[in-house]
Amino acid sequence: MSETAYSLKESIRHLPRNIKESIIRRGGGTAEQERAAAVFGNMFLHVHPVRVHLNSLRAGYTFGLGLISFYLFLILIASGLLLMFYYTPSTELAYRNMKDLEYVVSFGVVLRNVHRWSAHAMVAFAFLHMCRVFYTGSYKAPREFNWVIGVCLLLVTLFLSFTGYLLPWDQLAFWAITVGSNIAAYMPGIGEKVRFLLLGGNEVGQMALLRFYVLHVAVLPLVAVVLLGVHFWRIRKDGGLSRPLND
Amino acid sequence: MKAVNKEEMFPKDPNKTYSLMAIVDGETFNVEKGPEDTVQSWPHLMVRELALFLLVFAVILGVSLIFNAPLEEAANPLHSTNPAKAPWYFVGIQELVSYSAFLGGIATPALIVLTLLLLPYLDRNPKGTGVWFSRDRRVATALFTVFVVVMVVLILIGQFLRGPNWHLYLPWS
Ligand code: HEM
Repeated sequence: MSETAYSLKESIRHLPRNIKESIIRRGGGTAEQERAAAVFGNMFLHVHPVRVHLNSLRAGYTFGLGLISFYLFLILIASGLLLMFYYTPSTELAYRNMKDLEYVVSFGVVLRNVHRWSAHAMVAFAFLHMCRVFYTGSYKAPREFNWVIGVCLLLVTLFLSFTGYLLPWDQLAFWAITVGSNIAAYMPGIGEKVRFLLLGGNEVGQMALLRFYVLHVAVLPLVAVVLLGVHFWRIRKDGGLSRPLND
Repeated sequence: MKAVNKEEMFPKDPNKTYSLMAIVDGETFNVEKGPEDTVQSWPHLMVRELALFLLVFAVILGVSLIFNAPLEEAANPLHSTNPAKAPWYFVGIQELVSYSAFLGGIATPALIVLTLLLLPYLDRNPKGTGVWFSRDRRVATALFTVFVVVMVVLILIGQFLRGPNWHLYLPWS
């Protein structure tokens, strides 16, 4: 057996290839094995099975609605992170930051528009996705729990959208959240306390803005990511997407 | 030393009239059409997923270049807008609240969420799974459609037909 030369010269000569191979951990094999390895050998792709049923690929079956909701979520994370560079959760500054986005920051308007329209779209598409799952009976065993996770995701999506609604601190935001949080106060007995907890006071003010901000950029996104992880993992464990019984 | 027990992998059965003649290198009939009608995720699934992402991104970007997100005057706690409307997805609930604060604002939403959470444990008959609007699930389909239509109608009324003091208004007046 020949000794492998571990000389520095050799290492440098093969540097590009070695770096590439260390990143995309891939062994040779047949074309089929190569394609399989492309899926399960990659952390970002391994949520997928190596093979999928043809029914799951039918555009007319899922209409890609769940996937669209997820993509909107990704767009929201990316645009939201960028918005955070320009936003201060203060009643003095928040509205001025919005105006700056509009008139000072390059492409600030577009950035804000992307975030706003994706947020509305995500609520709508998560709801449409729920309708698809219902009308195809995809919540039947063994997928009951994934439906429950889905309902939680819908609630988190609504709450994410609602907490974000206050942040521009304009008249629309202020009075919408006032109306919305007043609904919580109708809860018998604990209503007023729930609203106090949510707003950090009896009215929408600086404390409410800070609470909504923290919920919007930290707590709820984290909850959503965890729930999404479970949602996708359960799809795999439940045997992929539902399909007609006799198939 | 252990005796190596050499066993024929495909022993000849005297009762058999056929035997393994040769193993030929080649692809089986199932290549690209695996067991149970499956295909490789890469490329079949992922190329579609990527295309869908590009489509979603392009549409959002296009809409964002044309339509601006609303921004009204700075918040003024002393001067309420009339009517003050919740975000559109809660306007249906706000509409219900205008009929009855507790029933519309608390009881109904709580009932909806509870029913949704329990649904898969109440409706367990697997018949019709995997088929859109299956004939085996007519009742479920009808009930859910009523729910969706009522929600949409309430949101439309709240969003477009309610003016100052939550009075009925026609959109063009
Ligand atoms: C944030 C919102 C959500 C996201 C991003 C999401 C994502 C997804 C994705 C990507 C799939 C794969 C199939 C497809 O694309 O349609 C899926 C399947 C599924 N989702 Fe969701 N989902 C969400 C909300 C919901 C809701 C609200 C429900 C139900 C109340 C739900 C229940 C299910 C179930 C049961 C499946 C399996 C469907 C099947 O086997 O055919 N999900 N989800």
